[in-house]
Amino acid sequence: MPVRASTWRRSRPPILRGPAIAVIALVVILGFLSVYPLSMLLYGSLHSTPPGMAGTFNLDGYQEVMTRQNLITLLNTVGISLAKTIPSVVIAVVLAWILARTDTPFRGTLEVLITLPFFIPPILTAMAWGMLGNPQVGLLNQLFQWATGSSSAPINVYSYGGVVWHMMQYSVPFLFLLIVDAFRAMDPSLEEAARMCGAARWRTFRTITLQLMLPALTGAAILSFIRGIENFESPLFFGSPAGIRVITTDIYDSINQRSPPQYQYATAASFVIMVLLFLIVLLQWKLLRGRSFTTVTGKGYSPGVIKLGKWRWATFAFCVSFFFLTVVLPIGQLFIGSFFKFFGFYQWDMLTLDHYRAVFGSSEFWRGLGNTMYLGLAGASLTMVLGGVVAYVSVRTKWRGRLLIDAMAWLPWMMPGIVLGVGFLWGFALLPHAIPIYGTIWALLLAYISLGTPLSVRVMSSSYAQLSYDLEECSRVHGANWLQTMWRVVIALAWPSFAIGWVLIFFGIMRELSASVLLYSVGSEVLSVVLLKLWANGNAEQVSVIGLIMMALVLIFRWVQLKIMKSQLGTLRA
Amino acid sequence: MSSVTLENISKSFGDFNAVSGVDLRVSEGEFVTLLGPSGCGKTTTLRMVAGLEQNTGGRISIGSDVVSDAARGLFVPSERRQLGMVFQSYAIWPHLTVFENVAYPLRVRRRPSAEIGERVSKALLLVEMEGFAQRPAPALSGGQQQRVAIARALVSEPKVLLLDEPLSNLDAKLRLQMGEEFRAIQKRLGMTTIYVTHDQSEAMALSDRVVVMERGKIQQIGAPEEIYRFPTKRTVAAFFGTPNLLDAEVEGCERLDGRRVRLDVVGKGWRGSCEAADEARPGEVVTVMVRPEDTRIVMADSGAGEQELKWSGHIAHTTYRGAIRSVVVQTENGRLTVDAAASCNYAIGDNVNVVAHRRAAWAIRKDEALI
Ligand SMILES: Nc1ncnc2c1ncn2[C@@H]1O[C@H](COP(=O)(O)OP(=O)(O)OP(=O)(O)O)[C@@H](O)[C@H]1O
Ligand SMILES: [Mg+2]
Repeated sequence: MPVRASTWRRSRPPILRGPAIAVIALVVILGFLSVYPLSMLLYGSLHSTPPGMAGTFNLDGYQEVMTRQNLITLLNTVGISLAKTIPSVVIAVVLAWILARTDTPFRGTLEVLITLPFFIPPILTAMAWGMLGNPQVGLLNQLFQWATGSSSAPINVYSYGGVVWHMMQYSVPFLFLLIVDAFRAMDPSLEEAARMCGAARWRTFRTITLQLMLPALTGAAILSFIRGIENFESPLFFGSPAGIRVITTDIYDSINQRSPPQYQYATAASFVIMVLLFLIVLLQWKLLRGRSFTTVTGKGYSPGVIKLGKWRWATFAFCVSFFFLTVVLPIGQLFIGSFFKFFGFYQWDMLTLDHYRAVFGSSEFWRGLGNTMYLGLAGASLTMVLGGVVAYVSVRTKWRGRLLIDAMAWLPWMMPGIVLGVGFLWGFALLPHAIPIYGTIWALLLAYISLGTPLSVRVMSSSYAQLSYDLEECSRVHGANWLQTMWRVVIALAWPSFAIGWVLIFFGIMRELSASVLLYSVGSEVLSVVLLKLWANGNAEQVSVIGLIMMALVLIFRWVQLKIMKSQLGTLRA
Repeated sequence: MSSVTLENISKSFGDFNAVSGVDLRVSEGEFVTLLGPSGCGKTTTLRMVAGLEQNTGGRISIGSDVVSDAARGLFVPSERRQLGMVFQSYAIWPHLTVFENVAYPLRVRRRPSAEIGERVSKALLLVEMEGFAQRPAPALSGGQQQRVAIARALVSEPKVLLLDEPLSNLDAKLRLQMGEEFRAIQKRLGMTTIYVTHDQSEAMALSDRVVVMERGKIQQIGAPEEIYRFPTKRTVAAFFGTPNLLDAEVEGCERLDGRRVRLDVVGKGWRGSCEAADEARPGEVVTVMVRPEDTRIVMADSGAGEQELKWSGHIAHTTYRGAIRSVVVQTENGRLTVDAAASCNYAIGDNVNVVAHRRAAWAIRKDEALI
């Protein structure tokens, strides 16, 4: 049979034509979401006047940042973050060890309970603790006085201790979530080998278990430290009233509490914090380079469970008390607070439903709820789609430019919400009038997408990484084109991760305060901003009502997320 | 069914040549095996046929259609080559049932569902998996997954079937059984098949022709018996079993027929004649291959027959292997391995002779042996 020239179109495969367009589109989108606000920060820090006004370029902003007062602010920031990271790591390791490696009863339920605080918007617990630990009328102090008969008030959350304590409620479950799988997935034979070599249990834990965990622990601790520096809610609620300043609240105050707002100072300070974070990230790379988590193999090991005997009830109690302190107490406070006429005066004749009526009758609440839901749904969906595409390009293709895309999507990781908010504030103000984003709900949407992208890329990358290439190639060989393969194989297999990531991003949007508070305007308030305004007006009772409603939302979404995770494990590991 | 033609195919990753200058023609209905040590480029070759890898040189045709031609920049993507493929990992999609896995090639081609139902059942029947249609795919054993992968590869009646080490994940017994079953199906359907393996016995048992590869190049193509008995290169000889390879000098040469010559050779402490593919000049050094199963051990004082080669030596050690006993004899020309009856026993140090029929000795030219 003679070899006849092909009747097929003489063309490169679509996979070679499409990439250029896709890569360019992604670079443009990500450029607007991350590089643009960053360069606006730089521009703003060098420009003497607020966005949109004529001015000159100078270094005044940086000069103002370099003061003695700001050195204290910097030390405060780093010190508070360290002070919360160290005990958090210890508690998280203990919790992870208890739940992954011992026979403590009800471990499954406990794990769900002690990770719950991570999903509660910090603004809710901040307000709840503001009521619980108020030195004058706080519930805890009242209980203490009632129990001891003394008139002193030992608990004051408006202090360094209060800031650290509030941060810890998040960093413990955060760290726990990061390290528990390393504990769980550890190959038991590594430990057994040490035991066979004659090492006792404690020695094995010290020389093998902990050593193997060290890369995972270090990485998680540094991440938690970064989160501490970026934290906004805790110092805003508990630090500012006591005169404790950190960088994030300093930036916020210079825009919101001064007139005229000190934009140049704020952007210069933003740049300083980003440099600080960048240095920490560099340190992290240096520390973790070449150290892998080979203990985590993904095989279904059942790691050796240590029998604790009677002590298992002690470990059980430890977990329960953590849950009680971080969830039950604040929610209880919101619950009680929502039914009494005045916050702090808990008497039977003061019971009322007025606050519920006021909240449900308030247009501001409904608008805030509507905005939050709208931004949550749209934002989470768009962020996950973007993250899914970026992750696909950087993990599954060999396209040129994929490293650039990956780096651009990662950039917001180094920008705390408040910094990104400042950057977008400038960025939107400088856009041509034909693109009226400034002061609209779109501003918030774009900021949320930018903030969520690093996380969504991570979630989707790890999901794609688990899919073997064979599954995709097999589909191509058997007649499916690229799109069909994406739809029927890649998306079909990755959607549980997509859904889990979606809920995470949704949580992130619901809790977001620092960027929102800079970018909202009348009409585009989100629930967290509504709460902050009510709180500032001293309306703790309505805050409690709205807080409870948000809590209900959190619980519903968390429940859905757990359901999906369970069914995913059910289908893929059967 | 279609033939497959590879003309001077090569593939380089950066400056590393994974495959270079491969020429191969697989006829319609033929079962060809690519065989070679790990990393020799078998998978890469198969993937170029599949269109999962683009060849950097040469031309590939399936039937009468050129599907890839590096010189003209022509490349037909995988999905338009109408192939069936079984992956080493089976690549069973975990989110689909057995039925949906097998139906996939038909679904993406938008066949009517009545036809899909019918053809999928037929394919499942062929691999004896008809009872498992509604099982979720992850709930299958390795052997069952392999059957599903074969059914999926066959269901769309592809032009060519490609298999990349499909049996390597199975245990030895199942491997044998599945291999035979698969060969039976392949013969019944008359599928053109390219099969990759690094297991020589699998290649021998299944193929019409075997292609031995090494470092990205084809070493020899031929029927299993031809490759085993008459290797043209030392690497090919050494790849099958553990043959004794002895250097010897040619003294005389005589043509036997169109394909073979007889060489008179002399080695260290032995002389005799053997066969070879090509003539050799007197004085030339050749490698003589004698397979352990073609040799025998005789008493030290007994002589060899007219048509036999003989080496004298003493027993170095023996290994009991169940069916046979491997006996290593130290001779002047190095150690020789002999497959002896399992029941014989020899004391280490005994003086013995090793003999082999001259037809069992095969000479390979040194210049080719060097490659
Ligand atoms: N994508 C790639 N990039 C770089 N080198 C590659 C790539 N794919 C394969 N190679 C190299 O090409 C050579 C041939 O690989 P190939 O997978 O074809 O080997 P193989 O014969 O199938 O081996 P095995 O029996 O181990 O599967 C190897 O040296 C391999 O390292
Ligand atoms: Mg291979």
